[in-house]
Amino acid sequence: MRALAQERALGDWAVKGLGCIGQIAIESLDDGTFLLSHRDDAGRADLTIHSGAEHADRLARFDDAENYRPLKTAPNLRHGWKMSLSDLEELRLALDHFYPGRLAAFFAFENGDLVTTPFRETLERQSGMYRIAAQISEEESDELIGNFCRSDGGCLRAILWRRDRIGTLPSTKLPPEKFDPGHDQAGAGGPVIPLLCQEACNLLVAEARRVVQAGR
Amino acid sequence: MENSLDTALLIVGHGSTVNPFSSMPTLMHATTIRQRHIFADVACCFWKEEPSLRDALFFFRDPAIREVCVVPNFISEGYFTRTVIPRELELSGPETGRANGQVWKYCEPVGNHESMTGYLLERAREVAPGVPEREATLLIVAHGTSLNDNSAIAAKLQAEKIRQRGLYAAVLNLYMEEPPLISDWLNLTETRNVVVVPFFISDGLHSYEDIPVLLGLETAQARAESGAQEIQGRSLFYSTAIGTDSRFADVIIEQAMAQRKQVSQSVS
Ligand code: SF4
Repeated sequence: MRALAQERALGDWAVKGLGCIGQIAIESLDDGTFLLSHRDDAGRADLTIHSGAEHADRLARFDDAENYRPLKTAPNLRHGWKMSLSDLEELRLALDHFYPGRLAAFFAFENGDLVTTPFRETLERQSGMYRIAAQISEEESDELIGNFCRSDGGCLRAILWRRDRIGTLPSTKLPPEKFDPGHDQAGAGGPVIPLLCQEACNLLVAEARRVVQAGR
Repeated sequence: MENSLDTALLIVGHGSTVNPFSSMPTLMHATTIRQRHIFADVACCFWKEEPSLRDALFFFRDPAIREVCVVPNFISEGYFTRTVIPRELELSGPETGRANGQVWKYCEPVGNHESMTGYLLERAREVAPGVPEREATLLIVAHGTSLNDNSAIAAKLQAEKIRQRGLYAAVLNLYMEEPPLISDWLNLTETRNVVVVPFFISDGLHSYEDIPVLLGLETAQARAESGAQEIQGRSLFYSTAIGTDSRFADVIIEQAMAQRKQVSQSVS
């Protein structure tokens, strides 16, 4: 089947030397295949090599302690594996399991199509049990986002959304590089396929609701 | 099956921030469908997991993809299919045109499909092989009392359809949180053999923990799913959630194809 635009873009990123995404190192081998590993494990030769993208979901779902990872872009990807992928189609499928939706977001970003949504707008759109999340105050939002989204221990995405329509930064507690799509949020300073956050995730909305409820 | 290589498929699931098994059937069905090469691209998105429904707005950015079929992997119509999915995916009706010329078609939830009755029956036969249906009661169990869906009504409808076929001694729809209650099953059934099929999309806490407890099973026992469990002189056969059935992949495809046809008929 013909390669999709997304797969061709992924090939271009590999050629450009974007050799990492989040905590994953992507090695492009001479025979056109790819080898993935946890960036911390890149030098290890003693690891089991899984072949095929279908293993990615299981590896992405649980951390080193076998706890469920509700946020795949949290910096707690499990260690101790390598994965061999036969072509760009498989590479894309695997990365879509490890970091769901992130390739598509970066592809849209590169094409100037990635629409961001202010935090307040996301909250105001909620219904049902999440409706009250919109009652979170500015100070509480600043604190919550600064804590919940931080790259060390929270989430490895670069935040592109603003807190409101007038462009307030998401949190004064976060360093400027948290909003820079070119920055390696994993802290190693490598050229990376960035993990972009174009709109607050459901987990952050749920936390905002929790903050509002706790304050009542 | 006709190929639709200008069409992509988006399967929408609920997902969970606490239950690792919630999204697995949806992902599994997506893999199955992808391997059949019927669609140009196949993706999933979830309300409570990544990728989110909002993320899905940026999927399928390939000029060859002209149509996207959105199939909710839900048991019934309800709050999610009527409110959350259209809002998050910015769907304005059965057909929504996008700025890039793509048309997104909103399909019926899988649980609405007419083949569901047949699958429930097949599932029941598979967990209780060799048990004569005439001497057994079939329980279709659902959540009940939920503002979020109409799964109780859907289960009731399925029980009625199966009852009309006259195969089982009795067919009952029972619920976790409203009468007729699952926990009352011993009083509500008369046959020695009782077959239970959870009318759920995934094996989550409900089908692994809550329902077995309501039935009086050890949860580990229910999970092992090895033939009959003996309780107070009855033989209880417990199935996994109907949504884990590999045949659900076919239903997802059929829901997508049905919507394509319907829309093209209404246009021509
Ligand atoms: S809102 Fe974005 S940056 Fe914050 S935790 Fe969620 S995904 Fe990560």
